[in-house]
Amino acid sequence: MALTTAPGTGRQPGSRQSLPDRRSRARLGRRVRDNVTGHAFLIGAMLCFALFAWYPMIRGVVMSFQRTRRGETTWVGWDNYVRIVNDPSFWTAWKNTVYFTLLALVLGYVVPFAVAIVLNEFRHAKGYLRVLVYLPVMLPPASALFLFKFYVYDPSDAGLFNAIFRALHLPTSEWMQSSTMTMPAMVIASTWMNMGGAVLIYLAALQNIPGELYEAAELDGAGIWRRIVNVTIPQTRLILTLMAMLQIVATMQLFIEPLILANGAGTQDAATSVAYLIYQHGFFQNDLNGAAALGVIMLVALGGFSAVYARLAARQD
Amino acid sequence: MAQDSGGRTLISPAQLRRGRSKVVYWILLFAVVAGFTLVFLGPLYWMVTGALKSGQEIAQTPPTLVPNDPRPQNYADAWTNLNLAKLLFNTFYYATGALLFQLVLDTAAAYALSKLRPVLGNLILGLMLATLMIPAMVLIVPQYVTVIDLPILHLNLLDSPFAIWLPAVANAFNIFLLKRFFDAIPEDLMAAATIDGAGPLRTLWSIVLPISRPILGVVSIFAVTAVWKDFLWPKLVMPSPETRTVSVGIYAFSAGTPMNVVVAAAVIAAVPTIVFFLIFQKNIMSGLTSGSLKG
Amino acid sequence: MSLPHYRRAAVVALAASLGLSLAACSTKSDDGSTDAKGKVTITVDCMPVGSQKDLVKNWNDDVAEFQRQNPTITIKSVSVGEQCNNPPDFTARLAGGTVTDLFYGYMTDLQQVLDSGQAMDVTEYANKNTIPTWDSIDPALKDVFTDNGKLYAIPTKNYSMGLLYNKALFQQAGLDVNNPPKTWADVRAAAKKISALGNGIAGYADYSAGNTGGWHFTAELYAQGGQMVTADGKKADFNNAMGKQVLQNLKDMRYGDNSMGQRQLLGWGDLLTLAGAGKVGMFVGAPDATTAIVTQFQGKYQDWAMAPMPGQDAPAKGTLGGGEGYFFKKGLTKEQVEAGLKWLAYEKLTPGKGQFDYARAKPQNQPVGLPQPTMFAVGSDAQKQELELRKANANVPVENFTAFEASPAPIKGEPRNAQAIYAVLDAAMSGVLTNPNANVDALLKTAESKVNQLLASNG
Repeated sequence: MALTTAPGTGRQPGSRQSLPDRRSRARLGRRVRDNVTGHAFLIGAMLCFALFAWYPMIRGVVMSFQRTRRGETTWVGWDNYVRIVNDPSFWTAWKNTVYFTLLALVLGYVVPFAVAIVLNEFRHAKGYLRVLVYLPVMLPPASALFLFKFYVYDPSDAGLFNAIFRALHLPTSEWMQSSTMTMPAMVIASTWMNMGGAVLIYLAALQNIPGELYEAAELDGAGIWRRIVNVTIPQTRLILTLMAMLQIVATMQLFIEPLILANGAGTQDAATSVAYLIYQHGFFQNDLNGAAALGVIMLVALGGFSAVYARLAARQD
Repeated sequence: MAQDSGGRTLISPAQLRRGRSKVVYWILLFAVVAGFTLVFLGPLYWMVTGALKSGQEIAQTPPTLVPNDPRPQNYADAWTNLNLAKLLFNTFYYATGALLFQLVLDTAAAYALSKLRPVLGNLILGLMLATLMIPAMVLIVPQYVTVIDLPILHLNLLDSPFAIWLPAVANAFNIFLLKRFFDAIPEDLMAAATIDGAGPLRTLWSIVLPISRPILGVVSIFAVTAVWKDFLWPKLVMPSPETRTVSVGIYAFSAGTPMNVVVAAAVIAAVPTIVFFLIFQKNIMSGLTSGSLKG
Repeated sequence: MSLPHYRRAAVVALAASLGLSLAACSTKSDDGSTDAKGKVTITVDCMPVGSQKDLVKNWNDDVAEFQRQNPTITIKSVSVGEQCNNPPDFTARLAGGTVTDLFYGYMTDLQQVLDSGQAMDVTEYANKNTIPTWDSIDPALKDVFTDNGKLYAIPTKNYSMGLLYNKALFQQAGLDVNNPPKTWADVRAAAKKISALGNGIAGYADYSAGNTGGWHFTAELYAQGGQMVTADGKKADFNNAMGKQVLQNLKDMRYGDNSMGQRQLLGWGDLLTLAGAGKVGMFVGAPDATTAIVTQFQGKYQDWAMAPMPGQDAPAKGTLGGGEGYFFKKGLTKEQVEAGLKWLAYEKLTPGKGQFDYARAKPQNQPVGLPQPTMFAVGSDAQKQELELRKANANVPVENFTAFEASPAPIKGEPRNAQAIYAVLDAAMSGVLTNPNANVDALLKTAESKVNQLLASNG
């Protein structure tokens, strides 16, 4: 850090003067100018954050205590919250969303990591396999979901899954029309669409594990499973922690899957998610204020979760 | 890229060369290649051929593997009826703009936070990163209300590409990636540039950016895929048919269009990105796997 | 270049990139109203979409002809999708203020449009001068769009529901085409025979998604003699024997007889797609469903006929009626409103023109001779004229709809907050159609509490 004063000497001959107060004033001036420059670089992104992230957050809270009718906005206290929580779909939506998130963790978190570990061992066909896994990520989500809706989850035996199950003499399902299969079906579609990104990120992390660690573990007599537990997982912990966090935040926003696959709420609300409920209140029931209140509830719930998660993750390190 | 150069992974190369392991390896490799092909290409094949079938044939049980009587007309109908050219162009336009805005503004911000470190920089970074914890859905309503009537400026951004471009800049993850990468650039390199009399902008342009190509590639991919995959936001802020993205457009028309035509449209919508991906897959893959996140 | 320059350049560049970009967005809300030469431009939505080639051509021809007759008026057409009023998109457009100058809405939308503050009172402009047939228009239709004595929209279409049935499938199943089902028991028996044809054909099909399930629940409840909400509009009124009967009928057909096919969770287009493909024997709908089957879903109008709404053991006690109209966006000039009214008069409310141009529709193989819309009061000049033109050009055998016309059930309008209520009832409909063990009582109870809550909050 000794260098930090050096640049000044090069460009500002004046500061060479011996007068101490003059020098400090010049330094102050430079500090101000450096700060101005720094903020100038920041300002663009900052304005965007301010307009589209920070301000809406405050606005959301404010809106949740207001009601707008015929162009007039009034304060209504907790009315919106009471209405939202008393909506019979409220708890269903939370139950569904948490269920989806858990299923997605089992499938969408463990599977990509396992796939990455396996892919990392192959010495052949690596490029091909990676391209395959990532291919669905490049599909527009609506494309992929219409494929699932019309051709894969067709409730008759004309659907891809049922045709396969029938051929294997396994029981078939009505998929999106069955309230018990709705969620698993959505998780499968969503994992198929999205896992490619996670696999590649894990692959990158795996490739940075020093080979000596495995060698040392092997010398200690550790089998493959022990090597995964003792070397692979600890070495990728940071990325695993981060990805779990991101995945949970992403899956809690479950929206397009119910919208397209289940035509919205699905059979008997089996597909209703919190995000879909926000959309329904805001844009079907013409209740933007209620939707904002539900958004705030979601924010508080996820904020609480994140705080606990961060603390747990920190304790583990 | 360690193992590309023969580096050691979970299972040692020596072990793999041994007789039985070698057999297991090849069996496993074959199984995985076959399985992945089925799982990831199978549905795509089903989609492309299914859209060629007639309404009657698609409802047939058991389904046919190859269309009996292919009807390319479904694709032609999808192209003209849904005005797919326009939808694809819109999506491409939004993605490009979002990419440029992010490259310029987010890189500048990450550079400032990493190297220029102005006062309150850490606080700002903290506030930015805090948004990572907030699902977009939570903000959808207030964001939407904001876009309809921007504070102070009182502009209505509905149907304007800026409604997609500017919110895309507020991407804490990309700023975080860029900042982490910039943090790893040695101070002496920067200092040397400063001694040469280069200001921050020139240092950024001629020193930082050239060595940051891998991370810029990653950020670009993220920026483009984010716009390409987003659905609800463009659905809300681009309500007119002329401004819709391809996903939203197909969805909007799905309710009143025969199923096979919808899927044909879905296939056409997927073609540009798939082709783009197959052409640039080497760069995309190496960008994603080598440049970015180091555990 | 010296250093400070660089810095200043950076600041300017960053600030400019943002400032410019924001400035650039503001240039879009231009298209004006009346310019110096007295020219008027209005935007109109719900232009037919690309797949309806004939309808698009007709619309464009009409616009051209109208502009020729009214050189001072320019019509800008906007198409908003296959469904002109898809509730969430409609809400978004209202909230965002991006509705067109003249915008399409359902008869049930009045309250929502008023709440959004986007509607303009057009009472003083709507008269014989702007709409020549104004006095012939059924006053009941004008009432629907009137609030506190003020008129906010011009009705352009109306319908009531009945039972549509596929004559070809009836014949194949050995049913009498000229003696369609009159009660739900008849429907059930016929559905059983039709579904016995196999091949994935559903004897009877019904909606359960995208608000259409609730819409049909309402129609079928009216047929039982019920109502969705109490007269004061404060409480749900469907959790009773009549409501249960509606769901029980469906449940019996779906799981008792297995005559409703396997595909459920159908939305508007899903059912019509199946119907167009000849996979549906009967469904509840309005006459114009046949138009959609023909123009959008590759079906044939020759196949379809219509009977009155079935009742439980006698003819239906009522049927759902509804319709659509065009609202005017707040803030239009007098000239724009008048231009808009003239356009609506031309396109929607003149016998022999626009939607009533039967001579043009006939060769395009659109169904002509459907008994609806009935925009004009019975006995009025416009009504007689329209009826004559319709008869002269009819390509649909009149007898296909005589049963429907001969014994019309009393028409009941949709409830207030219809779309929100329909969304709730979707769950009840999907329940009986997808769950063999669905409990009808429980489904209705849940729906009732949701609707009560909704009514309380929308007060």
